[in-house]
Amino acid sequence: MKVQIALFASLSRYQPDGEGGRAPREFELAEGTTIADIILSLGLPDEPRVVFVNGRHAPDDHVLAEGERLAIFPPVAGG
Amino acid sequence: MTRDILRVDMGDLSITRQPLPDAWRRYGGRALTDAIVYSEVPPDAEPLGPDNVLVFAPGILGGTSAPNGGRISVGGKSPLTGGIKESNSGGQAAHALARNGIAAVVVTGAAADPDARYCLVIENDGSASLERVDEWAGLGNYDLAEEIAATRPEGDRYATIQTGPAGEAGAKAAGIAFSDPKGYPNRFAGRGGLGAVMASKGLKAVVVSDKGHGFLGHADKEAFNASMKRFATALKDHAVTGQALPAYGTNVLTNILSEAGGLPTRNFSHGTFEMADDIGGERQAETIKARGGEEHHGCHTGCTIQCSRYWMDKDGHYKTKGPEYETAWSFGADCGIGDLDEIAELDRACGDLGLDTIEMGATMAVYMDSGALEFGDADGALKALMSGVEGGTPGRVLWNGAAATGKEFGVGRVPTVKNQAMPAYDPRSVMGIGVTYATSTMGADHTAGYTVATEILKVGGEADPLKPEGQAELSKNLQIATAALDSLGFCIFVAFPVLDIPEAFAALHELAAAHTGDEWDADSLMQVGREALTFERLFNEKAGFTAADDRLPAWMMTEKLPPHNVVFEVTDAELDSVFDFVPDTAREMGLA
Repeated sequence: MKVQIALFASLSRYQPDGEGGRAPREFELAEGTTIADIILSLGLPDEPRVVFVNGRHAPDDHVLAEGERLAIFPPVAGG
Repeated sequence: MTRDILRVDMGDLSITRQPLPDAWRRYGGRALTDAIVYSEVPPDAEPLGPDNVLVFAPGILGGTSAPNGGRISVGGKSPLTGGIKESNSGGQAAHALARNGIAAVVVTGAAADPDARYCLVIENDGSASLERVDEWAGLGNYDLAEEIAATRPEGDRYATIQTGPAGEAGAKAAGIAFSDPKGYPNRFAGRGGLGAVMASKGLKAVVVSDKGHGFLGHADKEAFNASMKRFATALKDHAVTGQALPAYGTNVLTNILSEAGGLPTRNFSHGTFEMADDIGGERQAETIKARGGEEHHGCHTGCTIQCSRYWMDKDGHYKTKGPEYETAWSFGADCGIGDLDEIAELDRACGDLGLDTIEMGATMAVYMDSGALEFGDADGALKALMSGVEGGTPGRVLWNGAAATGKEFGVGRVPTVKNQAMPAYDPRSVMGIGVTYATSTMGADHTAGYTVATEILKVGGEADPLKPEGQAELSKNLQIATAALDSLGFCIFVAFPVLDIPEAFAALHELAAAHTGDEWDADSLMQVGREALTFERLFNEKAGFTAADDRLPAWMMTEKLPPHNVVFEVTDAELDSVFDFVPDTAREMGLA
């Protein structure tokens, strides 16, 4: 199945193509892949993060589905 | 430690200095401006008439070395909302006033000659005078800063407080500019039209010299330094204040709010912006670096977060501050503009004219929605904005804000509460902030109770932004805590570590206690927050506000916001519960 993955702020350098940037990349994933699996395979630092699937907060054990958009942010805030 | 009130009567041009009444010794910043406005301004006063007062007050910790403790509160009756206003700013003035022993400057009356302009000069020995400066009439904030500089002795160190041409025109969206550590007049008490109140009194500028003054001393120096160290460590250790804000600035929020479907786009018609990344904090940081700008700095001395930055033009010259998130949103996503240089041009124009960029971006989006301009037309927006300089249209209508503009140009979708435009979070997909917008005494104001931290950013717990449950309680608690922070003089960004790290919260009242020698604890700190809000609520009630004013516009309950296709669902009863503590607090204060 195909899933879009976008990484933001300090995490964008962990995109496997090494090109950084916030543009989403398309990943071909096995059925049953969870967000935790993705975090592990991308080698994201073991720090708090904010994760959205299709614009809604999602827990690390969320099982990704065809066509979903996963976006991961480090802790950010402002205003 | 001296904490005096400097009273400046613009009617007879007299200046007097009085000790702060003992009943107000626990008040600084917002609590103090509230107490003074509540006590001195008739609730039915004409905001731009002589009965209004304008108050500048550093917080309890102003002038000290407390990290991020140099914010200033500006108070008065707002010409935009018709209610009480506390507009908060960074810049150097809070420290400079406090180091001269001034807890508040209270400006009353109005100059007899409407063409007269005055500059209030406070020297570093605490003496003060009013100088006639008619030749400064109509000057933009940047030229005005240079004129002021030419009057100062060589080697002076001073802060400025200024109002621009928009304030002089009586614009309801006019803000007050404060000089930053490099002297640029680019920090703003933007909201609520207080720049027009300042100008209505004949006051064009205030200069405060603090040359030779160091940090203020403390009642208990050892305890102060120990708490300060713990507080500074928490600010550095927290990922938001230690990493994200210094690296990307406030505009780091653009991408995450767009992702969450909460970034109001094209006059609140959509919750995501397809060009979000082009105007977001990551792109901003990359561009500033490529143009040779400095990475970051504090908006006032003593800031350790360092979320401020300067936008450099394509030739590497200073253009304006930030732009901050709110401005990148208001002139960006909300106006359909996806170019940071174009946004910076509009930010610079507002900064020079002395206009609130939140109000003006939201206003421009309403104007675009009328069909008068295409969304995305940055040149047209700048031209419309500048048309107010000569007194023409549509500029002077736009300068009065989103509500006035919606009325004039027949737009139904006007995102305001109490006539003040909503900032950069759509309350339909970030429902907690909708509670704050609806109920805040200030009109739609995100800083009054920043539930976004919990709803979107997972700071200080978690709440589902798409659900109404628990949002009223969250907003209430944050509104009280924010009023307390505003009274101590802290930047509200300290709330991010304070909400997550218990030692950081404890440090707030420990610092106040060690500095003043008074007893402060968690309860008394929150009590000051409740008292500030109580002054505000009571003033607004007397000015005619009712529960009907604590509501979002009706269309936000029916018009679904894509992409989540949601409407605002918090009930009226829940909104009305937010200020349920006011009768009790008023009794405790003897105001019932």
